[in-house]
Amino acid sequence: MTLNDIKVGDTVCLDDFSHNQSVYFKLISLGLLPGDQVIVMGRAPFGGPISIKHGSETFFALRRSEALKVQVKTSTKAL
Amino acid sequence: MLQQTAATLLLIGFPNAGKSTFFNLLTGGNRKVSNYSGVTVDMGRADIKSDSDGGIKLKLVDLPGIYNLVPASLDEGVTVKALLNLEGKDGAQKVLMLLDWQRIEASMSLALAVKDIVGSDNIAIVINKDDSAEIDPARRSELEKKLGCRVLPLSALNASPKTVEAFIRGLDLSSQVEPVKKLQITKEALEFLPAGDHSARLAVIDDTKSITDLINWYHQKARDVLGSLSRPNDEKSRLTQKIDRIVLNPWLGGIIFAAIFYFIFDAIYSWAGPAMDLAEGVVVGMGDFVGNYLPEGHFKSLIVDGIFGGVGGVVVFLPQIMALFFLLSLLEQSGYVARAAVVTDRIMGVFGLNGKAFLPYMSGFACAIPGIMATRTIPNPRERYATLMTLPLITCSARLPVYILLIGTFVPATTVLGIFNAQTLSFFFLYFLGSIAALVIAKILRLSYFKGETGNFIIDLPLYQRPSVKTAFIQSWKKGKTFLTKAGTIILGLSILIWLLSTFPSANPELLEGKTPEQQAGISLEQSMLGTMGRTIEPVIKPIGMDWKIGVGMLVAFGARELFVSAMGTIYSLGDVDEESTPLRDKLMAETWSDTGAPVFTLATAWAILIFFVFSLQCTSTLAILRRETGGWKIPMIMFTYMGLLAYGGAYIAYNLLS
Ligand SMILES: Nc1nc2c(ncn2[C@@H]2O[C@H](COP(=O)(O)OP(=O)(O)OP(=O)(O)O)[C@@H](O)[C@H]2O)c(=O)[nH]1
Ligand SMILES: [Mg+2]
Repeated sequence: MTLNDIKVGDTVCLDDFSHNQSVYFKLISLGLLPGDQVIVMGRAPFGGPISIKHGSETFFALRRSEALKVQVKTSTKAL
Repeated sequence: MLQQTAATLLLIGFPNAGKSTFFNLLTGGNRKVSNYSGVTVDMGRADIKSDSDGGIKLKLVDLPGIYNLVPASLDEGVTVKALLNLEGKDGAQKVLMLLDWQRIEASMSLALAVKDIVGSDNIAIVINKDDSAEIDPARRSELEKKLGCRVLPLSALNASPKTVEAFIRGLDLSSQVEPVKKLQITKEALEFLPAGDHSARLAVIDDTKSITDLINWYHQKARDVLGSLSRPNDEKSRLTQKIDRIVLNPWLGGIIFAAIFYFIFDAIYSWAGPAMDLAEGVVVGMGDFVGNYLPEGHFKSLIVDGIFGGVGGVVVFLPQIMALFFLLSLLEQSGYVARAAVVTDRIMGVFGLNGKAFLPYMSGFACAIPGIMATRTIPNPRERYATLMTLPLITCSARLPVYILLIGTFVPATTVLGIFNAQTLSFFFLYFLGSIAALVIAKILRLSYFKGETGNFIIDLPLYQRPSVKTAFIQSWKKGKTFLTKAGTIILGLSILIWLLSTFPSANPELLEGKTPEQQAGISLEQSMLGTMGRTIEPVIKPIGMDWKIGVGMLVAFGARELFVSAMGTIYSLGDVDEESTPLRDKLMAETWSDTGAPVFTLATAWAILIFFVFSLQCTSTLAILRRETGGWKIPMIMFTYMGLLAYGGAYIAYNLLS
């Protein structure tokens, strides 16, 4: 499952997504580490970017083609 | 040993942490502050204002924000270069890490990474955005103990500069910051650093994994350091979530985006109108008043026609310029512009760019120069060039006077489609035309010379913040002052020059005999130096519906676009023999061709001029910045040529369609 498959409003856990180094590099720089929880906040129309919230401090958006490169697991613990 | 007289402090931190706000607070500076990442793209240096005498001079350096120490774009390279002192100039005595309390984990990890490179003796930490003093003295000393350096929590919005200065003076500023360790970077990152042998300070590593592992490790460590320390209250974060639910909603997002921009341009056009009428009244009234006290002759003509006609014609647009900057400042402070980049990413993708290019384009609405600088934040060099080479097509504030003058005079104020005013719509159309042309040309560049994949689009969305009306007002007042200064210097000088060129040499008195005063004024103008010059270029501009006077205006506008309006003001004032001064708008309407007597300014001619201004690169400062940012004259010359061709072609089509 990738971040691109997640419905708006759902919380998931990041899996190890380090195989794509360029996306990984950018996301860990924002402070997203494998194992962290994120919430999908919205999806822009016509296949536009997905917006994500991480913890209570980071909001960001990424293209769907990049979201496809981020593996996720269903979240086990609540935020 | 020499007595130390000054110490330099580098401001380093996450993007949007408030470095420039902090810098302005301490230095009284005027660096741009906005609520999105990547606002600052160059280095700014100033002395800290201080009234305590005796101490050494403190210099503060504002730098672009970075996420980590491996630069991924040119602006980040500027910061890493300064931190490692790669150019070996006079270094710094301290690194001030500016952390963002609202993003404390992520910004702490950067502080830890910098601490490892320069050593904990060389850094001090400021935690900004602690607006409600959530970090109490106990927590502060706990952090100082864990980090091994001084920590100052504050809010740059309301901190007292004295307290901060005292904190800085309490630091040991006697030794120069020297890296204690080599910084590991990737090969790609070298591209964003100045060329040269930096092997003493940098270790270039092939394996990106060990670099990402290290970044990961610093983030883990930041979480450990912060541990049980409470986190900022998440009221703002919840508000942001609520607003984003609407603003980034799949259906509403685009509508809100269009509505905001329509509102801004409508506001500039319609609200500022009455203020402009007032300004016009004042300028005309003053011209008459002064004119009444001056004896007839060249001197009166210089004052009334040259200066009031030329400079006054431009100055009346001050309300619009200020309204534009006021509204843009409110928008930028709110945090919405990063969302606008998200909303437009899809469209940008069609044109081979990504949403990040929206931010430089958006700066371009104010002025092309900061927009061109802001392209430094685009990591992919091909995308960067495609953005930079099309940026001057975005309608900047210098085009406003020309647009408003011509639309207000020649487009009827009728209502179309029930709710839209034809003038506002024309105004909006010009903005739209410039923007769409920029995107289409960018696409052509991306398909040809700058072919290649689009880079990542992962964009940081700041928390929303209530925009400060005061800040917006200060911002727009500053721009207004710049505009008036320009009017009082360049435009004034040029108006005098144009007056001289269009008054001398005087016409042969025989030619004037038996003519009406109007005809005499016309003949004098034609016989002048300017008239002769104008006649020479008339064949080139006749096909696009312009006479030699407009041609002269267009020519001087290559220096700066506002000069068109001032040149027209001076030339038409000379041709105008009425005792009463009239606004430039009325003079334009009264102008006729000397041979046929038909009005010069028809709707077709007005649109030809407008279209010409949409496309052409008439700004010497833009050319100079382009040369600096691209390292040569080649790109600016290519841009000047293609934009000139578009301008002439567009004006030709518009003129022929409408006449
Ligand atoms: N709430 C709050 N907001 C602040 C504070 N200091 C700055 N800001 C806001 O934070 C935003 C970013 O400020 P800047 O000074 O432009 O940030 P910067 O670190 O220079 O950003 P870059 O140049 O993009 O790296 C602006 O909207 C500021 O108004 C503060 O102490 N509290
Ligand atoms: Mg800044």
